[in-house]
Amino acid sequence: MIPIESESTTKNGIKIVYVAKENILPFLTEKKLEGFDTLLMISGVDYKDHLEVLYHLLSSTNSSRLIVKAKTSEEVESVTSLWKGADWHERETWDLVGIKFKNHPNLKRILLSEGWVGHPLRKDYPMDKKQFVNLADDGEDRVSYEKTEGY
Amino acid sequence: MEDKVIEVNFGPQHPSTHGVLRIKVKLDGEIIVEAQPVIGYLHRNAEKLAEMGGYPKGMIYIDRLDYVAALNMELGYVLAVEDLMGVQVPERAQWIRMMMVELNREASHLIWLGTHGLDMGMLTPFFYCFRERERILRILDEVTGSRLLYNYFAIGGIYSDVTPKAFEMIRTWTEDFVKKMEEIQSILGKSYIYVSRTKDVGKLTAEDVLSYGVTGPMQRASGIKRDVRKDAPYLFYDKVNFEIPTRTEGDVYARFLVRIEEMRQSASIVKQVLEKIPQGEFYNKKYSKPMLVRLKTTGESYVPTESPKGEFAIHLIGDGSSIPYRVRIRSPSFANLSSIPTMLKGYKIADLTAAVSSIDPVFGEVDR
Repeated sequence: MIPIESESTTKNGIKIVYVAKENILPFLTEKKLEGFDTLLMISGVDYKDHLEVLYHLLSSTNSSRLIVKAKTSEEVESVTSLWKGADWHERETWDLVGIKFKNHPNLKRILLSEGWVGHPLRKDYPMDKKQFVNLADDGEDRVSYEKTEGY
Repeated sequence: MEDKVIEVNFGPQHPSTHGVLRIKVKLDGEIIVEAQPVIGYLHRNAEKLAEMGGYPKGMIYIDRLDYVAALNMELGYVLAVEDLMGVQVPERAQWIRMMMVELNREASHLIWLGTHGLDMGMLTPFFYCFRERERILRILDEVTGSRLLYNYFAIGGIYSDVTPKAFEMIRTWTEDFVKKMEEIQSILGKSYIYVSRTKDVGKLTAEDVLSYGVTGPMQRASGIKRDVRKDAPYLFYDKVNFEIPTRTEGDVYARFLVRIEEMRQSASIVKQVLEKIPQGEFYNKKYSKPMLVRLKTTGESYVPTESPKGEFAIHLIGDGSSIPYRVRIRSPSFANLSSIPTMLKGYKIADLTAAVSSIDPVFGEVDR
């Protein structure tokens, strides 16, 4: 049994558990064996002094739900070995919130283009600074602060 | 001839990508060796935008996620906010919400069916489906005042009551629709070309479905009987009778059959709502507009709903101010689309459009 740090619920009664960030992968492995076979999504929250990573689990047999949270400082273990769907969700969390996932097969930006500066869902992201997606010579998108050819 | 793998770029500007999907396909002759989807061309960061204004303001961004089923998106947001704030909603408003959401589900499935037919090279079902969709849009126009993006559900109820004229339109529609459904199904389902192009194509096993977190009709076509409307009923879904259609094949044809049956069930739900809808308030008077912008609370809420594409929900975190601290959107199309590499591997390039359109991706929701 992996120790749980604290417990709470959402307003409609879905259980939320906090675990230590180094226990994420063993804890989720344990939960998957217990019957939580679907990973609905992975998300991140920026609480200014720390980041939090969230995993929404669902059991497809008895449709019980569980939200697993961990306080982190930018890096946690990837769960792509448990669920193939975790791939895109982790890439998105890295892209928008800036949480790194160790041992992820292809940790690149997914919604924003390669070369984007900053992570938009951080609370200190500068909203007034414009970035432009430009067309590079090899046909891929590149981001810079100056507007050249592209969109 | 020596063996050579070539790379082909599919999209993002292609009529059968249903928006702006780009797939990098590696081909060995006609066989797909590897398919890598590239997304993000419609990214607007709706989550950040919703975190910048008050709770009622978030609605207009959520509306624009799945723009062919905007009411389903609104419902997810409205339920999350009401759950967070402990807002009571009058019974009549909830019944009307349920009816509108089902009508919008029909419209969404019809647009899918029409464009799916187009991708298969059949133009006729497109006209049949859009004729039916037009009738639904006219009903929605009569009730909400707009045809595509409604902003109709409000925190605490709905913005306007349904008029007797609209009720009459809905009633005649439910009577006609069952007949029309028969017609539409027979155009595609009895076509030899359609069936042979979709059977055993784009298969997903039950394990794949669970591993990728695929939900909605795609999941039910692969033999997993799960529908949020039955498993965790919201609104009054526990007070109406409806079936969850399931198939076990997991191919494109199974998804077609599941969606067709789902449309029949939605029509039957609308019919039952018309009988059961009570008189009364359609809006909680306590939550007038000036009151709404002052809503503030702490805590978290996550209310799962069944959108036409799968499980849609919003994880709201409040920090005690009148602006939500975190709005996290669980979008079904995003997870469904991530199964493309498994779904396309080993099939022919001609099966690509069939398989991709069977996901029913809407890019407003994938890219958010």
